[in-house]
Amino acid sequence: MQTTTDVFTDTPLVIGGRTFRSRLMVGSGRHRSNELLVRSIDASGADVVTVAVRRVDLDRTKSEGVLYHLDPSRWFLLANTAGCYTAEDAIRYARLARAAGFNEFIKLEVIGDEKTLLPDTAGLLEATKVLVKEGFVVMAYTNEDLITALRLEDAGAAAVMPLASPIGSGLGLLNPYHVRTIKSRLTVPVIVDAGVGTASDACLVMEQGVDGILMNTAIAEARDPVAMAHAMKLATESGRAAYLAGRMPKREIAVPSSPTQGML
Amino acid sequence: MIAAALPRLWALTDDRVIAEGRVADRARLMADAGRAEFAVGLRSTALTDRALMALASQLGGIQVGISGRADIARAAGAAFVLKGRGALPVADLRNVAPSAVVIASAHDAAELDQDADAFLAGAIFEKDGGPGAGLGLIEAAAKTGKPVIAVGGVTPSNAARAIAAGAWGVAAIRALWDAADPPAAVRAFLQALPAAAAVSVTINGQPKRATASATLEQLLAQLSLDPRAVVVEHNREIVRREQLAARRIAEGDALEIVHFVGGG
Repeated sequence: MQTTTDVFTDTPLVIGGRTFRSRLMVGSGRHRSNELLVRSIDASGADVVTVAVRRVDLDRTKSEGVLYHLDPSRWFLLANTAGCYTAEDAIRYARLARAAGFNEFIKLEVIGDEKTLLPDTAGLLEATKVLVKEGFVVMAYTNEDLITALRLEDAGAAAVMPLASPIGSGLGLLNPYHVRTIKSRLTVPVIVDAGVGTASDACLVMEQGVDGILMNTAIAEARDPVAMAHAMKLATESGRAAYLAGRMPKREIAVPSSPTQGML
Repeated sequence: MIAAALPRLWALTDDRVIAEGRVADRARLMADAGRAEFAVGLRSTALTDRALMALASQLGGIQVGISGRADIARAAGAAFVLKGRGALPVADLRNVAPSAVVIASAHDAAELDQDADAFLAGAIFEKDGGPGAGLGLIEAAAKTGKPVIAVGGVTPSNAARAIAAGAWGVAAIRALWDAADPPAAVRAFLQALPAAAAVSVTINGQPKRATASATLEQLLAQLSLDPRAVVVEHNREIVRREQLAARRIAEGDALEIVHFVGGG
């Protein structure tokens, strides 16, 4: 039996000079247990796993960081600057993350609004410039605005990460046209980050031709996170394959798929 | 634990002291003189569990360590567990009393290989009327980075030598319980302990007392934090791991200690 890898060839996903096997990246937050966290990451097939930088809890010094559960030799740890509301804070968190000693990558978030968690694109651009100059590989979380995406690429971002819909909303891909436009105009990889709720969302995102997708809550808050992670893996591969296959044109009339000739 | 949160003068009991009676009354007089610097270490081989529990309960308001019995420490609300030679391993004591500070006895350098929060090192000056292990045992214990309490023939006249060798505090039986005026003995001990051994710092936004001129490596050890799993920012400057042993804290310093947690 042929597998999908035999029937279509894809170029590898390369970000900042590093090649990744899977186009699905996953977050490590909001999981109900560390066991479910590890099992669902396993099931997702992702090789990039995002983590956050936070203070250690001094009153419960026996509490463990996520590194006690995620083997850094097995997964590529992508630190984020989640929760930062200014360029200055995001830069500080990025520097702390790099000092942990794993890699130069940072998923840069500068949040502009508590209610929607939408990005502050001015702060994002400012932080991108500073961090790129310091040698970071910046993956910039942004909205689905083409001009911001272009400016981020100009500023040296190694990947641009437009949202599908707000973080944790599960609303799916609200603006496929804008995401497609961004993909068509940028040279650096476009990774859609945030907002997918279920497998069809992930598939639809990948069908836009973007290079990858990053998700967290859709897996962590599923009734069965391990099964959902598996579904997301298939959906990501499926959407990618469908994009590469090239869909048929949409028509507003029916076209019979069985021959009209030879009828009795 | 940070050394500065550990009492510096310990009145240890033995069976003889307990048999003499009025332990709680005498302890209270000494605690009034020693305040936050003073603690009682309850050691007994003769008391029943119930009698030990009753005695610990009579010491309400005084800082107390229970020797060998994490269960009684937990039940009596004692903050410290003293781990003698025949006691359960540190990990087992912690399982029983997770919030207790475990102070392990170290009779020789080999016993410093324990994951305790602090060490009770001795006998230093005198053992059963003969010579003790000497100041070298304090020096070896201080190298672990954990706070060290010196015991064994310690008096107000030799306490300063123990501190000079690296001890954070001292413990005594006869020099306190058998003193003609125990509160006066407490004051004499505390005067002999060099002052200003602690500084005020802010760690992760919390005001803390810390051992003066401790290195960051020692501070992490006192907090039971693995230097490989955290990143330290010292007065807004990230400290590379190789520098942790060289950087020292000072009055008013601000420290942030962060690690990776789950995040999207």
